[in-house]
Parts: sequence; C-alpha cells; structure tokens
Amino acid sequence: MATLIDELDPLKRAALDAFQAADALPALDQAKGQFLGPEGRFTGLMKRLGSLPKEERPAAGKAINAAKVEIETALTARREALELLAARPAHATDFTAPGRHRRLGRLHPLTQVTDDIVRAFRALGFAVADGPEIEDEHHCFDALNTPQDHPARDAQDTFYLGTPQRPLLRTHTSSVQIRVMSQQPPPVRIIVPGRVYRRDNADATHNPTFHQVEGLYVDRGVTVGDLKGTVEFVFRELMGTDTKIRFRPHYFSYTEPSFEIDFSNALVRKLGKDWLEIAGCGMVHPQVFENVGYDPEVWTGWAFGFGIERIAMIRYGISDIRLFYENDVRFLNQF
Amino acid sequence: MKVTLNWLRQYVDFNWTPEELTERLTMLGLEVEGVQKLGGEFEGVVVAQVITRDKHPNADKLSVCRVNDGQGERQIVCGAQNFQAGDKVPLILPGATLPPKPGDKEPFVIKVGKIRGVESHGMMCSGEELGIDPESIGLKKEDGLLILGPDAVVGRPLAAHLGRGGSDVVYDLEVTPNRPDLNSLLGIAREIAAITGNAVRVPSDTLPAGDTDASSLVGVELEAADLCPRYVARVLRGVRVGPSPDWLRSALEKVGMRSINNVVDVTNYVMLETGQPLHAFDFRLIARGDRAVPTLRVRRALEGEKFVTLDGREHTLSAEALLIADPEKAIALGGVMGGQNTEVSAQTQDILLEAAYFTPTGIRRTSKKLGLRTDASYRFERGADPLGAEAASRRAAHLILELAGGTLASGSVEVHPTPPVPRQITLRHQKVNDLLGLRLAPAEVELFLGQLGLRPASRSAGGSSEPASFTIPSYRVDLKREADLIEEVARLYGVDKIPSTAPRQGRGTHPFDERYDQIMAARRLLAGLGLNETQGQTLIAHASAGGLPAATTLSLSNPLSSDMDVLRPSLLPGLLDVLRHNLRRQNTDCALFEIGRVFRSEQGVVREGWRVAIALTGARAPGFWAGSERDARFDIQDLKGLVEEFLEHFGLRGYGMRARAESESGALYIESGTVTLGGGKLLLGELGQVHPRLARDYDLRDPVFVAELDLDQLLARRNTARSFKALAAYPAIRRDIAMIVPESVTHEAVLQAVRQSKAAHLESVELFDVFRGGHVPAGQKSLAYALTYRAAERTLTDADVAGAHEKVVAQFRQSLGATLRE
Repeated sequence: MATLIDELDPLKRAALDAFQAADALPALDQAKGQFLGPEGRFTGLMKRLGSLPKEERPAAGKAINAAKVEIETALTARREALELLAARPAHATDFTAPGRHRRLGRLHPLTQVTDDIVRAFRALGFAVADGPEIEDEHHCFDALNTPQDHPARDAQDTFYLGTPQRPLLRTHTSSVQIRVMSQQPPPVRIIVPGRVYRRDNADATHNPTFHQVEGLYVDRGVTVGDLKGTVEFVFRELMGTDTKIRFRPHYFSYTEPSFEIDFSNALVRKLGKDWLEIAGCGMVHPQVFENVGYDPEVWTGWAFGFGIERIAMIRYGISDIRLFYENDVRFLNQF
Repeated sequence: MKVTLNWLRQYVDFNWTPEELTERLTMLGLEVEGVQKLGGEFEGVVVAQVITRDKHPNADKLSVCRVNDGQGERQIVCGAQNFQAGDKVPLILPGATLPPKPGDKEPFVIKVGKIRGVESHGMMCSGEELGIDPESIGLKKEDGLLILGPDAVVGRPLAAHLGRGGSDVVYDLEVTPNRPDLNSLLGIAREIAAITGNAVRVPSDTLPAGDTDASSLVGVELEAADLCPRYVARVLRGVRVGPSPDWLRSALEKVGMRSINNVVDVTNYVMLETGQPLHAFDFRLIARGDRAVPTLRVRRALEGEKFVTLDGREHTLSAEALLIADPEKAIALGGVMGGQNTEVSAQTQDILLEAAYFTPTGIRRTSKKLGLRTDASYRFERGADPLGAEAASRRAAHLILELAGGTLASGSVEVHPTPPVPRQITLRHQKVNDLLGLRLAPAEVELFLGQLGLRPASRSAGGSSEPASFTIPSYRVDLKREADLIEEVARLYGVDKIPSTAPRQGRGTHPFDERYDQIMAARRLLAGLGLNETQGQTLIAHASAGGLPAATTLSLSNPLSSDMDVLRPSLLPGLLDVLRHNLRRQNTDCALFEIGRVFRSEQGVVREGWRVAIALTGARAPGFWAGSERDARFDIQDLKGLVEEFLEHFGLRGYGMRARAESESGALYIESGTVTLGGGKLLLGELGQVHPRLARDYDLRDPVFVAELDLDQLLARRNTARSFKALAAYPAIRRDIAMIVPESVTHEAVLQAVRQSKAAHLESVELFDVFRGGHVPAGQKSLAYALTYRAAERTLTDADVAGAHEKVVAQFRQSLGATLRE
C-alpha cells in the first residue's frame, strides 16, 4: 500500500501551504476544515488506514500521526500569528495625542478653603455649627454687646427685610455664638462657617455677600494663651508651617480683651509686606456670657473670626473678590 | 487720626525711630494705617558765612572761598560774583540734593569734587537753585547767590531760618471706637508715656489776671443738661484776627486741616492736642436782647427750626438737636458746627470761647440726621472727656492771647450742674492671671495701671492678692469693668509676650456637625459626576428668571440696587445668571451645581432651606477628536441620569420622577418633571428644559437643562445604611421582549404590568431600546425590554422561565395593549 504513504507527504505539504496562505482567522478555519474537518482530506486519509493490510498499519499509523502533529502544530502557530495580527490596532497609537476624557467637576475654592479650615479645627475637637442667615437684632447685635446706636446697626451698613419684625441679614457669624450658647450649656467648642452680609457695593474687595468663619471655645480656665495657641495652630495648618502670627490689641464689643491677628509668611513677603491683617479675636466679654446665661465667674472663653474670601485670595493670589461669585468656568477650573 | 512725629515729641520723650514708633503704636492697639515722610524742605542746606574769597588759580570766573558752616570751615569753589567775605549765604552740604529743575530727570546730588583742580566741599546756592523767589522772603532779587540778612544764624538749617518745616513723619492712626481719648495728641502721648515711663508734658495754659470778670460780660443758661452736662465760656476782647504763624499753620496742614485764621486755628489745634472740641464766636454778634449781658441758652431746637451752619448749609432741625442760642437766634449747632451768623472773621475783635461736654447719643443722632459730620461731632459722639472742657479752654485762651493778643476777662462762666463722680473699678489680681495665662505679681499689675493714670483707690491692708480698686481717669470712658482693666494690663505687658499654650483636647458638639459632612458628601458626589461647583449671590433681582413667586419672596427694605433687591427663593435664577456670564465669555459648555440656602416667607414666617441645583448646557463631554459622540450636546436624559445617579449614591431610595403638565411647569420650563417620594406625595424637586424664550433672554444658545432639589428633604430621607446581599450562585436566563405600544404607555406602566404578572424568578427588567418610525405606526412606539430570571437555589430550566415569561407577555398584552414583535 505504498499509495497511502506516498499521498501523505504531498497532503501534509498542501495543508501547511494552505495554513500559511490563510491571511485571516476565517480563512484559516476554512483551511483547517479542508484538511482536518470531518470531511477533510487528512481525515479521509486516516479513515483509509483501516483498509491497509494488518502488518502495514503500525508503520502507516505512525507516519500519519507524525504528519498530523506537524500539521496541528503549524495550525496552532498560524492561529496565534493571525490572532495577534487581528488584535493589533489598525494604526499605531499616537501617544502624544490627548485621550478621551470624562468630565470631573471641582469644588468651589471657597468650599475648599472652608473645608480646610473645618479640618484644622476638627483636629482640635471642634464641632461645626450653623445658624440662620436671617437674624434679629438681639442675636446679631444686642447680645453681642453692640451699643444701641452703633453704626453697624444702620440701614446704611446692614440689610433689613421689609417684613414687620424688621429682621436683618446677619453681618457676622458671631450671631451663631449667641444661638449656640443660649441653647447648650458650657463647655462649648464650635466652628461656624457661613455667609454674612454687609451693605457694601461690589468692588474688587467687597461683595454684599461673603463668608466668615467663627470659632468659639468656652470652658473653665480658658486663657489668652489658649487663644494664641489655637490660632497659631490653625493658621499654620491653613497657610503653611512658615506662618508667623502676631496679636495686636484691638476693639470688638463682644470680646475683652480684643485682638487683631496679623500673619506673615512667604506669600505676604512676596506682596512686599511684613504683616497682613487676617482675623479678629478676643476673650468672650463677660457681658456676653451674662446675656446668654453663662456665669462669667465660672466660664471663660475665646472667640475668633475671619473672612474666608480673604484667606482664599491670599492663598491663591486672587485680587478681585467678585471672581468668586461670577463663577466663570475658567476660574472654577483652576482650583 | 493723624499725628506727626515732631508734634508728638512736644508732649513726651521717646528715642524711637519713626519705624519703631509705628511698631510701638501698633502693638498698643493704635493701628498705623499710613506713614508719610515729609522730606522737609532744604534738607542739608544751612546758613553759612563767607570768611574769605580768593580768585581761583586756574579759572578767571571762579573764586575759592573759606566758609563757616557753623561746625567748622570748608573750602568752596564758587562761580557767582555777587558776594563778598562776611556775607551769609545758603550752603548745601555734600550728600544733600538740590530739587530737580524743570527738564532735569533726577535731582542733583552734591558731592565733594575738584573744580578746575581745586576741591570744593559743598555749594553755595542761588535762590533759583533752591527754588526760592528772593522777594517772597523779603530779599533783593539779583543774579548769583541768595544773600541772607545779617541776622541769619550761622549753622542753622535754612528751613528753620526761613521758618519752614523741617522733616517730619505723619502717621495716620486707626483709633478704635472704644478709645475716643486717643483722638488727641495728648492721648497718644499718654500711651507712649505709659510704656516708656517718661512723663507727659502738659502744655502751658497759664493765663494773665483779667481786667473784668467774665461773668459780668456773658451769661449761660443750661436748659438741656441731658445733652450738654457742662458748658464753659471765656471772653477775650480786642484780639487781632489774622493769619496764623507758620508753626501753627504747618502743624494743622500736616495733619490735613486747613488753616483759617489764628483764632479758629487755635481752637482746632487745641482740639487736636487735647481731644476737646472748642468753638469761637464773634462775641459782638451775639445779641443781648433785653438782658444786661448777652446770655447763651443751651436748648433743644424747636421742631422744624431752621439754622445755617458755618459751611453755608441750611438745616431743618428736630427737637433732638441741641442749639446754642442768644435771646434772638441760634448761634451754633451744639457739638457739631457753629453758625454762620457769629463766625469769627477778619473784623472780629471780641471772642466768646466755648468749651463744653456734649453727650455722645445726642450728637450722633443730630449728626446722622443732618448728614453733617465734623471733627467736633466725631469726637463728641465717640465720647469726649467729661472733665476736659476747662483745661482745653484755658489752653486755647493762652494761645489766642499769645497769637492774637487782646485781653482776657478773668475766669470763666461755667455751668456744670452735676459733675460726674470719678469711676472706680475693682480688680482681682487672680482674675488677671487667670484670663491672660500669666503669673504677674500684684505690684506689676498696679505698675502697669499706674502708668496709665489709674490710681489705686483702695488696697486691702496686708494684701498682695486681695482685690484692689482703681480710680479711672475721666478721659478713659472705655474702662467700665474688670475685664477692661485686664485688657490694659495685657496691652502694657505686651500681647506678644503672653505665651501660647498648646490647644487643649476636648470634643465639641453641635447638631449641624453631622449635617456639614452630609452636605460636603453631596458636593463631592456632584463634583465627581462632572459638575463644577458655583457659589451664587444670595441677593438677586426681583425681576429674575421666570418670575419669582411674589407672595413668598422676601424683599430687602434697603437694597443697594434693583439687581439685588430680594433674597433668592431658588438657586436657579442665580445659576442662569452664571450661565449667561459664562456664555458671554465664550465658555459655551457648562455643567454646574450649587448647594446653598434659599429663603421664603410662609404666612409671614421667614424660612431658610438648603437646596441643590444643577445646570447643563453645551457639549456633553470634553472635546475629543474622533467618534460619533464628539459633538453631542447635553439633553434632558443627561440631566435625568445625573440626578438619578446623585440620588442613588446619596442614599435616596424609592423616589419617582414624573412629567409635569405644561400648565404646572411655570414660565421657567418648556418641559419639566418632578422628583417625588411616597408615590408623589412628597415633592423633592423638579427638573426640566429651560424655556427657549427665557434662554434667549439670558443669551443662552444651546438648550439648557436645570434641576433643583430640596436638600433638607434629601438629608431627612437619606438612608446610607447598607447590608450585604449574597452574590447569586446560579446562572440567570435572559429573555427579551420587543413590543409596540401606544405613545402614552410609560416605562412606569410597563414596570407596573410586570409586577401585576407576578412572574416567578424575575430578577430584573431593563429597558434597552425605544424606537419610533419605520414600520412602527404613528402614535405608537416600539419598546424592547430584557427580563432576567434567576433562582437563588438552583439553575433554572428553559421550562421554568417559559411559564413565567408567558405571564409577563400576557400581562403586557392585556394592560398595555401591546403588540408583541416576535
């Protein structure tokens, strides 16, 4: 039966050529079917093995198997090559071109600064507190020891509503001090970020709406030293470890003694200044304690407050406060 | 309050540089808002005398002189011809600069140098070189050097010789409202004295014995002692009103005050010096009426009374205002401004000098009502020294006599019915240390307070740490209680020296604390969803987008402008303003949100609430250079998907969204829907497409989509609790249904039908295609749903699913009128 063996080699060669000639996976599959499928030529050859004389079968079988292994190996190799070819991108990627982006929004710079302030205070155990923006004279002025005919109460400086009780828009977050102390017993440890209102025409440094943060700590034996220590901690957290803090005597009706706080760091020196005024503070006035029903003989405390816009303006080098409220996306996208 | 370095030095000694003074005042609580150095004219120019004049060896027209500059001799080479030995001339010393002449770029700096081989140590000057017109100082105009008179003192600075100011520094100080005593040179000098320990030099107020008694010339009747507790009048006769001497004029001008005449200038000068406002009347213009002598009445104005002040303005007064009047007419608006009718003029010969104490409240009301603020009203309304009138009156009379001559009637006419009792404040030493965190000895505390003029009134016999009582000087109107004294100790000790202590640990509480985190979580979610956060104005225009609900919108009674006359009842008008701002600046693609408060009135009760609002317009995604989606614009489904994603992640479950009838949509939307809870019972918010008419008003070109949700409700209904559900262990079987239904059939109706079918093992229902047109009849649409079946405990068979799926299909046919597409 020399014929079967004689056919084997050309058939194998034809199969190998066909696989090599296949230029894509479907063509390869077709070629595979032609030779190795149920009706394939190689399968046909194997079927004829049974018709060989018994003594010729082992040698023929061996030869056929060897050929089959060779064909299948070639097939696998060709498949891998073609798979790789198929997977390869049609064009090489230009890795310098911009990819496809998803939009990711940003928090407003005032939100970011506020949250940094809150984080610094929370590290010291302060809780965030809040109060109404529409206030009454009691919480905004009277209880804070503001003299009856103080100019801050003027319709020139403070917004009043047209409704009968003449409510006003709070001019400072200090009104929340009064609300909190009137509602909860000492000790108190709160921070109050929020919007406040002053009747100033908008310009580079004024907006009728702006943000303040107020800190209030009331406990037994609270001292000016405590106030200084906390202020220094918070401003170093906020403005960097190179920040220097200076306290100057000042006047606020609801604290006594009162101080203004100046700070200095590389940013300030870049502005050509030694110090920049940043906040007001002081020891809670005993009259304020009396107004909320705390005994000033038992409790002492400090309060301090500052403008969030001012911090943000210094931190980011923003020179016009109106930018915060225009919300130009070119502005928002920078933070 | 403006003061100058030289003026301050008249009252107290200190050896600080101008910069140190700034620092010291600042640290005392007197913030220095501005420092202006006055160069001083003719810096480095002195009166010198020519000793010898010889011809220059190498130049015909030059001479070599030996000159005495007061310190010694110098050699000067000079080109002028008009002088000789013995003449006194201005000499500018090396290092000094001549003022630049017109055309010069830089001032000319005098140096030691050789002129034609001979050294010259300075330059003798002409009037022209110094910018002096010789005739203006009484000298002859001639070519060459300015030859000074023989009385010129050699070595004296030229400025001093000419009576012009030397260099000085003007400080602009911010005086806090609690310290009216610092609105005076003496007040500031007292502060400096307190920290240096040097004494204050009280300026001279000696007065000659008068010829006549003041009380025989004038009377004062105090009818409103509540507004004017004290009135002091002095009379000076035969004064010569004229220009003030240079020192006075220059002192006033340096601090920004105009010189008027010697008498008025003295009243202003003494006011600046002492803080006590004064007024001078032309005594002869005060009517006598039927009295023996002119008698001043200190009375309230009549309602509607008219009065013309010095500045020529006529005021209509109310009974709150206080007048100084003679029997016929008002002559001054007490404590604010004098009257035109008794103004001191060049013709004035006799003067009535007023020094009074007016109470702050009265002055503040009058000044505010009339819109008339003066240096006097400013001081009285903040609180003058109740006992300062007499001393200031004496000082002013002293200076008027010195500068304007005349004779003083002896004594004064004073009305002071109830002199105040000196205030005493008790201070516990322990309290000082407790509040400041210091360990001061009682003696130190007393020393500090003593330096401020607070004298111990009582001291316990043995006692160091016992309370002590201090008598408060009358000018310290701010010191009212113990804490005020503690502040004084802190100031004098030095606030910067109080040691900081490490922040104490503890835990504060407030109900808002948790809410703050929740609001921040909402902000971060929305930013993560691709929205930029904005912060809008709280105050918006009543005529805002879509019209605001008039009944519930809160208006300001004193708005700054009609652009900002109401409190926002919604965040949306502000967001539309922001879109407009951006589109006008070619920022065409905006995806924004704001979280903030809104305000409304409910039956007269003011309500504040938190809202979250979203606005989308322009391109859906950041620019890209390929793909069919690259030009996609935002549409309503982007907004809806954002809101859904936000609500799901924020922890809101079981909400529904429904279309809102056009009639309920309001003017803002062309189409809108609501977000509700509890099957529509609780409104959480709304979303929709902004009406094109409105968008056009706002210059918005692309469709604009906005949503607003009630954040308070979201926070109240939020559920962030999570519990783990076991992952499915057995495979799911998916069956798709495509059907044609009438246009009115909603997704919600489909889900309702699915629920009604009670199909077993149905895990999820997902809409995956909506199609209109083509073979779908008009008024109908094709919906395709994928239904997923799964059992928790076994693998479902096709037979299991077939039964369930049949039920769903049957229900769709029955309740939706669906035609199934096989």
